[in-house]
Order: sequence, then structure tokens, then C-alpha cells
Amino acid sequence: MTATETTPDAGNRSAIEWKLYANMLTTRLFEEALVRWEHEGKMSAQTFPSKGQEAIAIGCCLALERGDAVIPSFRTRGAMVAMGVSVAEQLREFVHSPLAAGDSRDAPHHASWPERGVMPGSTMIGGHLAMAAGLALAMQLEQKGEVSLAFFGDGTLGSGDLHEAMHIAGIRKLPLILVCENNGWEMATPWQKVRKTQSLIPYAEPFGFATRSVDGNDALEVYNAARWARATALNGQPVFLDCMTFRAGLYSSHFGEVRGDVEKDLAAWEQRDPLRKMTDWLIGHGLASAEDLERLSQQEEQRIEDTLRKVLAETASAT
Amino acid sequence: MSTMSYRDAVAKALQDSMRDEPRLIIIGQNLAGHALRPLVETYGEDRVRDCSISESAMVGMAVGAAMKGWKAVVMIAYADIASVCHMAIVQSAAKLHYLTNGRLNCPLIIRLPIARFRGHGPEGNEVGASWFYNVPDLNIAMPGSANEAYWSFRDALQRPTPTLFFEDRSIHTRSGEITENSSGGKAQITRSGDRLTIIAAGRTAALAEDAADQLAKEGSCGAVEVISLGFIKPLDKDTILKSASKTGRVLIIQDEPPWSGYAPYVRCLLDHLPAGKLTTAPRIIAGADQFLPYWDERPFLPSLESVVAAANELIGNKV
Repeated sequence: MTATETTPDAGNRSAIEWKLYANMLTTRLFEEALVRWEHEGKMSAQTFPSKGQEAIAIGCCLALERGDAVIPSFRTRGAMVAMGVSVAEQLREFVHSPLAAGDSRDAPHHASWPERGVMPGSTMIGGHLAMAAGLALAMQLEQKGEVSLAFFGDGTLGSGDLHEAMHIAGIRKLPLILVCENNGWEMATPWQKVRKTQSLIPYAEPFGFATRSVDGNDALEVYNAARWARATALNGQPVFLDCMTFRAGLYSSHFGEVRGDVEKDLAAWEQRDPLRKMTDWLIGHGLASAEDLERLSQQEEQRIEDTLRKVLAETASAT
Repeated sequence: MSTMSYRDAVAKALQDSMRDEPRLIIIGQNLAGHALRPLVETYGEDRVRDCSISESAMVGMAVGAAMKGWKAVVMIAYADIASVCHMAIVQSAAKLHYLTNGRLNCPLIIRLPIARFRGHGPEGNEVGASWFYNVPDLNIAMPGSANEAYWSFRDALQRPTPTLFFEDRSIHTRSGEITENSSGGKAQITRSGDRLTIIAAGRTAALAEDAADQLAKEGSCGAVEVISLGFIKPLDKDTILKSASKTGRVLIIQDEPPWSGYAPYVRCLLDHLPAGKLTTAPRIIAGADQFLPYWDERPFLPSLESVVAAANELIGNKV
């Protein structure tokens, strides 16, 4: 290796662009592995891959600060990754390791690490948004400059709790950030069949939310929007980020693909893949070469495989 | 301490809790302008939070605030409305402690006044405690006296899991002495006797006491023992079994239909007694299996007459 060769360790690895890339890479490879391991019978768990949508959870969570709290949706594993929960810690919840902090009680996509600000989500679509508003209420009372952020899919528009939470947060000016992963589908139903506009902003604005439509596949744009959202929420106005995206992976490891006629959309959105976009950015700005990133990806894939072996071993030795 | 009415005991419990617990908030409707004006004057609208008609989000927000270490009393206008926020009570509040492997507590009170005999009609005159009886980690208080009202309220806020507080408005004016200390959630023997144990809660505990007093006047002095449960869940099994062993006869009164709730559960519990301990089969007096009409609820509910008649029959009095 020569001094001039760009390596993954070269350049400013602490720059936000590197963090966005690294967290998305980990999330993408980890979720691909989860589905693969499940299909190979190495473990049993339902996974809802966030492929194509990773930039939303990661861009938002990297914009948070110590003391802030996030409630993930069921398709935001990147939130756990970006909040600093390691692959090993997450895997322990999948396989009921004796070291699983949550004792594998909650579904792995709702697993929580409260001390790190990752709160339990809810299988009751929208139910977690009222809890996020309650976290924001406590933060408003404590006046420590903390915010509460929650993710949800656009299908949550149909849930009464979304509207109740927006109604209260808007009136009470809670430091709340609602982040919609707007991928245009409610499982197998396209948005046109279930609402008037794809954007949810017309629904959020009247409640008093500051709103922004965001390219949910552009991690930097998401990050910058979330930084703005954080400042705005702390300044007395809750924020609604409508992150436009497309699910590039399976609905879940159990159901597989459930949408009809999405091949063209998948191909078009493949060109806007958030990980590819971040890769191009790093290369384009001279922070990495394609070879470096390919090597980094292989190393990360190996690390994730090694982690599974380690976690399965620690689990087996306990039984 | 002093003697006061059931209504005043609940109010005092709320006031004392607000005084002693700086991280306690009250969430409800029409609080500042009506129901809790004096508390608002003392503690401000930060801790006494008026809310829109959003019961589901009110409970959900209380759970979110609990994630940050706050306690909350959620004021629901009357017990029937528990059905509106059933999801938040069961899925969000009751499960928080379990889902997080005990890393988060949820010390909430959901105050559910029973609005019997007030002309609310079938959507406003239910109890509904039995709807929740099979939910683990959900405490259910149903105080039958001023003392139980005060101390079950104070105790509930010390628990790691939430409490449904069924306050019975039909006994609001009954007075009683408030003890210096809590019984720690144990059932209370409010009348001592050796020939029959009546087990009841809330309004029916008051009915049982009145029935015991009437029977004493009619010549069966010291015959009837009354157990006022206070908390119907968790249930003080020891006090029940000890008293049933002593008297050998048991009458259980419940202000709801008999299909579920504490009455059939206590009836099953008696099977744990050694054979021959009971001299006669236990009996249940419950509400009729129907909704209660606006024009008169009483014919379908346990009454002083029905309790006295059953008691006389069980202890073998000829009337």
C-alpha cells in the first residue's frame, strides 16, 4: 500500500458523509444476512428489510444528540444501528442469547435500548406516535434541549393515533419530530387506493407542524432536514418530515414481495439507491475509491457473519 | 388521620401525590377550567395538562412520559371510555415493563370513574373492569371505602406497572377514616363474622357492609364477615382463603355480568381449600347478562335486598 492510495481509513472518517455511508452499509448487509440466515434455517425471526429506505432512519438518527429519543417503526433497523446498538446486541434479541438486554421479549424489530434512546416501538400501527408525543411532553417539562423522534410508514395516515398525536403536539408545541417513510405502498395496496395525495404534508400542516418534503433516498438531504427539524422542534414547533422513497426489498422475510407490477418502479428506483448515491458521493469527492469501498463492504459482510457465529455460540453454550 | 368522604379521599390522594411526587403529571380534559382548578393554581398547567378528546393518545402519551421517568394520572371522564383507549392501555401501558425486560417502568393511574345511576344510558353506565381482567401486569383498583380509595391511589403510583382505578361515584358520599399507613394493597376485613364470608369490591363492598349491619340488627350479630378487595388484581388470595376456611360459607358479589371478572375467579380459587372446608357451595351474585337501560339500572344489579336474602339463605336463617 502506498501513501497516496486512498483507503477506507484515509480522509476524514469522522465526516458525516462517512458515517452515513458506514451505517447504511452495515444496515444493508445486516438485513440481507438476516433474511439469508432465516431462509437457510440458521435462525427464525420475521425481518422487515429497509433496503432502499436506509437513508431515512440513518440520516435522522445521526442528526440526533445525547438525550434525544427515537421510536423506530418496523422497517427502521438503521435507527438502531445509527443510535449505536451493535450488530451483536441486535442479534442477541433475535436468538434469545443469555446476553440479550431485552431477554428477547419484544419482536426484534421493536427491541429497545432505552439507555441509548432507542425506545420500544409498537405493532399497533400509530400507537407509538402517542408515546413519542409523551416523550416529547416529558422533554418539554425537563427543558434540557432534547427531542423525541418517531418513524412510521405512510399507511399510518389511517391510524387515529397519528391524528391525535399531531393534534396534541401541534397545540402544545412539543419537541416532536415525526418522520414518514413514504414509500407509496401499504403492504400490497398502492397509495392511490387509500388516500388523496401521496404527500402527507397536507394532513400535517393544519395541526401546526413545520413540514418538509425530503428525498428519502438522499442520506445527506435527510440528515440536513433532520438537523433543521431538531432546531425547529426545540424552538417550539413540532416537525413533520415527509421522506419520499421506495421499498427496494421484500415486504418481510415471511411474506416476500407482495406488490404487483413493480418491476419498472424497482428498476427506476435502483438508480436512486441511497447506498449507491452515498458511494458515488464519497468517490466523487475523492474520499474513497471504488476498490476501497468494495473491500470495506467485504470486510463488513465478514464481520457480520463472524458476529452471528459468536452470538450463536454464546447462546448455545448457555443451554 | 381524619374522617372524610370517598370523593374527598380520592381528591386528597391526588393532591398529596402531586405534592410528594414532583415528576407526576395529570392528563385529562377540562381540568384547568373545571375539574382541577385548585391543583392548576398550585402546580400550573405544565403538570396539570388539559388535552383534547383524545383518550387513546392521552394514555399513549402518559406511557411515553413514563419512558423518561415521569408518572402520570390519566383522567378518563367515565369508565366506559376505557374502550376507546383499550389499545393504549393493553398494548402500550401494560406491556412496557415486560417488553423492556424491566428496564422501563410504567407507574400510571388511569382513573375510570364508574358512572352508575346517573342516567348516562348503556354507553355510560358500565364498569368494564372484567374487560381487562386477563391482562397481565395491569393492576386493577376498585376501592370500596374512603380509606381504600386514598391508599390504593397512593400505592398504585409506586408500582412498576399501570393501574386502572375504578372509582365508584355511587359511593362518593360514604365517609370513613383514613389510616396512617397503607395496607400495602391487601384486602380489608371490614366486618368480622364467623358464619359467612362476603367478598366484594367497590359499590358491592359497601352493599355487603350494609347487608352485614342489617343482618346484625335482625339477630345475626357477628355472623357475616366482609372482605373488601380494594385491588381486584393482584388479588389478596391469603385473606380470602383464610376467611373462607374460618366461616365455611362464601358469597361473592360483582357489579358486572358473571362471565368473567373477580367473582368467577375467586369462586375457582376456593377449589384450593381442602375438601370439606366449605359447608355449602359458594354463591355469586352478579349483574345480569345484559346492558343497563337508561330508565333504571337497579333491577339488573346486585342490591341490598338480594345480598341480604342470599346471606340469610347461606347461613340458614329462616326469613
